[in-house]
Amino acid sequence: MSAELHLARRYLGGLRRRTHVATVTLISMVGLGLGVLALVVTLALLEGFQSSIRAELVARATHARVVPAEGRRLVDPVRLASVLHEVAPGVEMVQVVRGTCLVSSATDAVPASVSGRSDVLEVGIDSILAGRLMVGVGEQIQVVAPRQRMTPMGPLPVRAVAEVAEIRVPEPGAEAGSVVLPLELAQRLLWGEPVVEAIELRHLADPWRLGARTRAALTAVGAEVRVEGLEELHRPLLLALALERVMIFVAVGLMLVVAALNLLCNVAMVAAEKRVDLAVLAGIGLPPRSLRRLFLALGIAIGMVGAAVGAALGVVVALVLDRTGALPLPRGVFAAASVPFRVDPAMVAFVMAVALALAAAASWLPARLVARREPAEGLRYE
Amino acid sequence: MSDAGMMVEIEGVSKGFGSGAARVEVLTALDLEVPEGRLLAVVGPSGVGKSTLLHLVGLLDRPDGGRIRLDGRDVAGLDGEQRAGLRNRMIGFIFQHHYLLDELDALDNVALPLRIAGAGAAKARARARELLEAVRLSDRAGHFPDMLSGGEQQRVAVARALAMKPRLLLADEPTGNLDRANAEQVFEMVRDLHLLAGLTSIIVTHDEELARMCDGIFRLAPAGARFEHV
Repeated sequence: MSAELHLARRYLGGLRRRTHVATVTLISMVGLGLGVLALVVTLALLEGFQSSIRAELVARATHARVVPAEGRRLVDPVRLASVLHEVAPGVEMVQVVRGTCLVSSATDAVPASVSGRSDVLEVGIDSILAGRLMVGVGEQIQVVAPRQRMTPMGPLPVRAVAEVAEIRVPEPGAEAGSVVLPLELAQRLLWGEPVVEAIELRHLADPWRLGARTRAALTAVGAEVRVEGLEELHRPLLLALALERVMIFVAVGLMLVVAALNLLCNVAMVAAEKRVDLAVLAGIGLPPRSLRRLFLALGIAIGMVGAAVGAALGVVVALVLDRTGALPLPRGVFAAASVPFRVDPAMVAFVMAVALALAAAASWLPARLVARREPAEGLRYE
Repeated sequence: MSDAGMMVEIEGVSKGFGSGAARVEVLTALDLEVPEGRLLAVVGPSGVGKSTLLHLVGLLDRPDGGRIRLDGRDVAGLDGEQRAGLRNRMIGFIFQHHYLLDELDALDNVALPLRIAGAGAAKARARARELLEAVRLSDRAGHFPDMLSGGEQQRVAVARALAMKPRLLLADEPTGNLDRANAEQVFEMVRDLHLLAGLTSIIVTHDEELARMCDGIFRLAPAGARFEHV
């Protein structure tokens, strides 16, 4: 162990003998510890909520979508499907067409977005459209396509009458109503032939990498398609989650900055208190760089203890709150029954690294001042 | 000007403190030569610059003007790291107050210069034990400074000053805080070790009686300095 580390260890060990320095040192440690604790608990809370949102996204949303590189028709969707089955066995594939139709009931007619899906067997409308048309399950609606067909009476719009089998929850942010139809019915209305506009994929075993794998496989076979993965499909939501995490980290992290400023005062106080000792140390040959290291070691040691205790307490608090469900959530508003906490070890390590970096930065200024002082200044002070 | 037999050469050294109207010139164009192996006492009234002189010779401070040579080497161009290295290897300090580190016991205090020089803990402690034995404090090795008497603290400080086998010993009123009996004991110990180790020593003191026991006296006064052979 070098002389400066030996001294730093003994200084910290000897703090018990000098109560005012010990008290301020303890306050610095507690300050850093509280900052780390607050960050760990807050980020665990955030991670808990965000991971439940991501889990919901994975459970309900499309994981990847294959669309034509140009135009609206997918060329040879059957061949594409066989390629995808080989790439990701067990992948769920849904063929899709989309358009806008006029949907009417006995009381009203409104434009609505129409989608046809190969995994849908019965007609469903969302609650927005159901409210506008004043229809419920078992009642009939008429879907009129913008496409026309020639009849002996002249061109007539293509239309279909269907019975509503399901009222669906609207898509987040949706304002217009929507209708979901079996694929063949939607193809007849919108295209008049079995066209597929997109293939939507779900693969619960590997949802986040499905887009990249699909893209690679289809590029390899020369398919002229564009593939959007989970992150592209839900970019606004995922960006909002990432931004939220950064902003919370910065806001709560300011506590760490305040604690680091307090640490700076503490190390400066030790430097003032030990002014003569430091002069004597320099007098017996401790070089300026070692004096600098001595004070950096003191600050980092204080920061390390504070950060370790704060992180350990933060992890324990988060785990206890999560396991016991001590913070219940209103039923029907959130999917979880209580506030979820999820401790990410990488995030804890990152928080501790930030705390240590701040502690080192806070010790640097007094360390630099101590190292630049001529030894005689400290002796004259005495 | 350099002489192979001179351990300390001071030529025209000046040193002042403060600035503007508050500036005080403590030493002005001071000359002094201390041959190797001599025990020199520096005496004079308070505030005349005795400690400042010792600090300049011991590389604890820098002069405003003039030249200082230690063992023929001009120290003006040395940076902080080089000066620290020279202090560690060549110079031993004893101060008026013991200035032992409260957090270290007597053994670790004595071993500290060796640890700074890079010696391992075991080797440094072994040498520190020898030195504590030389100052008759081997039974106090594990005691912290606040558990030692004033005389014992100063003897530990003497042992620390000799840890690196320095060639130059600088003592700033080493007996100033001690009663007569302890003062004589510490002074005799310093003089014995000076002779035994073949040191060059400069001792600042107010005590004329002790000063007369040295090889020479350098008398500093506001009017100027004067050297006396004893």
